[in-house]
Amino acid sequence: MRSMVEAPLSIVDISDLWYTYPGAQGPSLKDLHLKVKGGEFVLLTGPSGCGKTTFCRCLNGLIPHFYNGELKGAVVVDGLSIADHPTSEMAKHVGLIFQNPDNQIFALTVEKDVAFGLENLGVSKGEMVETIDWAMRMTGIGDLRSRATHELSGGQKQRLAIASILAMQPKVIVLDEPTSFLDPVGAERIFEVLATLNREYGITIILIEHRLDLAVRYANRVIVFNDGEIIEDGSPAKVFGADEPRLAGVGIPKIIELTKRLSRKGVIFEDIPLGADSFVDEIRDRLPMVGTGTFDRRRMAEYEELTGAQRSEPMIEVKGISYTYPSGVRALRNVDLTIHRGEFVAIMGENGAGKTTLVKHFNGLLKSQEGSVTVDGIDVAKVSVASIARRVGLVFQNPDDQLFSEDVEEEVRFALRNFGFDEDVIEKRVDWALNLLDIERYRKSSPFILSGGERKRVALASVLAWDPDVVVLDEPTIGQDYAQKERLRHFLIQLRTQGKTTIIVSHDVEFVADCRPRIVLMAEGQVVADGPTERIMTDAAALKRASVAPPEMIRVFSRLSDYGLPTDVIDVEEAADLLYRRMRGAER
Amino acid sequence: MSLIEGLRFSWGTSPVHNLDPRVKFAMTSVLFVLAIMFFDLLYLIVILLAQVPIVVVGRIGREWMKTLKGGAFLSVIIFATNLLSLFFFRGQHLTSDMIEFSLSLTIRFLVLMTSFSIFFLTTSPDKLSLALEKARIPYEFNFAFITAIRFVPVLADEAQSIIDAQRSRGLELERGSFLARIRKYIPILLPLIINSIRRSLELAEAMESRAFGATKKRTNLYELKMGRIDYAVLLASVVVVSVAVYARFFLPSPGPLIPPITFI
Repeated sequence: MRSMVEAPLSIVDISDLWYTYPGAQGPSLKDLHLKVKGGEFVLLTGPSGCGKTTFCRCLNGLIPHFYNGELKGAVVVDGLSIADHPTSEMAKHVGLIFQNPDNQIFALTVEKDVAFGLENLGVSKGEMVETIDWAMRMTGIGDLRSRATHELSGGQKQRLAIASILAMQPKVIVLDEPTSFLDPVGAERIFEVLATLNREYGITIILIEHRLDLAVRYANRVIVFNDGEIIEDGSPAKVFGADEPRLAGVGIPKIIELTKRLSRKGVIFEDIPLGADSFVDEIRDRLPMVGTGTFDRRRMAEYEELTGAQRSEPMIEVKGISYTYPSGVRALRNVDLTIHRGEFVAIMGENGAGKTTLVKHFNGLLKSQEGSVTVDGIDVAKVSVASIARRVGLVFQNPDDQLFSEDVEEEVRFALRNFGFDEDVIEKRVDWALNLLDIERYRKSSPFILSGGERKRVALASVLAWDPDVVVLDEPTIGQDYAQKERLRHFLIQLRTQGKTTIIVSHDVEFVADCRPRIVLMAEGQVVADGPTERIMTDAAALKRASVAPPEMIRVFSRLSDYGLPTDVIDVEEAADLLYRRMRGAER
Repeated sequence: MSLIEGLRFSWGTSPVHNLDPRVKFAMTSVLFVLAIMFFDLLYLIVILLAQVPIVVVGRIGREWMKTLKGGAFLSVIIFATNLLSLFFFRGQHLTSDMIEFSLSLTIRFLVLMTSFSIFFLTTSPDKLSLALEKARIPYEFNFAFITAIRFVPVLADEAQSIIDAQRSRGLELERGSFLARIRKYIPILLPLIINSIRRSLELAEAMESRAFGATKKRTNLYELKMGRIDYAVLLASVVVVSVAVYARFFLPSPGPLIPPITFI
């Protein structure tokens, strides 16, 4: 009844919130004050470990009812104080969606899972049917209603998770990095669904994301967390216009970065555009059709040097391989691919395109059913996995699938022992690898107490330690924040200068574009395009086939193609420079 | 493994899938009881043949064949051990009735296996849990049962990823002595266990967020309702079991199927 009397304008009202986990040394949330109005779309970001997830847990009462610890201050959501209402009661008012779709699906069929929350609340069957129909329709999974949940793709699973929360008709939906495991197309669909719910039903969205380039277009407010505190809060343009987010290790969306650079040069923007399309609309009228000067950018030589594509001898040769899983899924269809020594290659494509299946052939984990794979002249099918793994180091997506030792040092030793190195060599290698990845200080720590990013580096060190000729990284950027990605990018450059053949599997378009590798695009188990970054990223047809969205800069310049500007611009600095030179030319 | 395959629910719709799980349980129980009641080869063959139409209507022919293939080895063992023990304990004579007796035990095994298959292959765990709910099993047990089934494919995928990751780090599972090989499973089991603990925490959070345990009076999207076919099948099961009891106790045995011959 209290909520009726006070009639709160804010749907989320947090004042003076402090929280410390049991046994933790310092507070995870410090002195938070925050009001969110009904119907807002809030994008919440910040570096890993900044307290975002802890904040989510406060919103539906998981803190303090599920997690003990020390809570001070007040959190009121939809008029209910979390201190007085258990999570099961809060669930009708605020819905929480987590990162891993698999860990929030409970039923065996889609419609049954959507109904799970309502069943728990004791809603009658008649009422339930109507609501779950609506929830499935809103999230675009209506036609999957009687499918088995384990057969869904990652994107479908995550939309199911949203439908399941939506069915309980909460006023606020909170999502904790919901698109980490999804490809860009899957992620965009999630954001579209959220935007519709926000627009048509006035549902307040609080979205935690690292994928800022995509998410920023949908948000009307951005909040940046750092070290348990709010350091920035306001419109996307204002927040990313400030310097604090960058200093805290949060990436600035590419379009905002471009706008910032242009305004520093004196170009005035009335509204800061948040996406490529609105940027182009903003700038089009000010851009003269013909420009001054030619665009001889002498990029090819530089490219060759960067990717090591000096046509040295082949390192990995894949000839006509096909692979069908026992379940009947045809993962690879007649794939040909040659990777040269010292080359840097990115394999891209949507989830299920066969990328991981392909790289598992590189060290013999999978033996091709047709065709052949040779590594440095050795036929992979004829030797053991261990002997080929000695030359091709594979680092998998999830470090938790391989860490098991007492301490970090032991973890790194594991492979070296398996390969039969001498003890004194092992010690040298361990030292070298720990230094390389800057985890020397954790040498004696258990890998399990480290943060996600650190665990990832331990996994990487444990592979690099044996100094394989080829390093393959499967989805290295998943769940990594901007600072961690930058660090990874520098590390990849380092590997390249050491002459290692480096292969990454990724659907992180902006990251790959920044790395400038040779790109191999895959779709439905086939290679659909293969070439340098600039060429592949401007090949709209091939990108579409592989369901890869072009990077933001390419989006801008592809829409400006009739202005005689080059279309293959990836670097923000170069983009700002080109546009500025053209505009200045007009003023003269 | 293929023996277990025969117990895994196969998604699909058919009149057998649509039967009320309680009725289906009664039906398969009747088949089960019949198989145990009779020793006569003729009757057992009739029961086995009577199951074939159910398999066909349920469209689980392929899965059933897999189960039979998986059970073939066990069937041979049952036949051979029975025959050999009869041979040695009855003065090292081999007669046709020994063969008939061993054969009937083998057929009985196949009948039991088929009735299990029919039930588990065509009953979705969702419906099974509903039946358990009706039987007043506490919901927590029910939920645990469904969750266990739900996570079998997830855990299988995870185990495969872990095996791949460790093999990529030079772990050779198939080399070394027996003890050494067992030790080699530590790098696979530990991440699996730790991940499961982590996962269970995440699951608990997600359950809380979906109002698990909010009310004692939980409702269910699916309801069990007996249809006309259900009543018909139930009636048929009762009739069959009554006739069988009558036949077993009041009618003479049909006698051996194979004419009596002494081989050795």
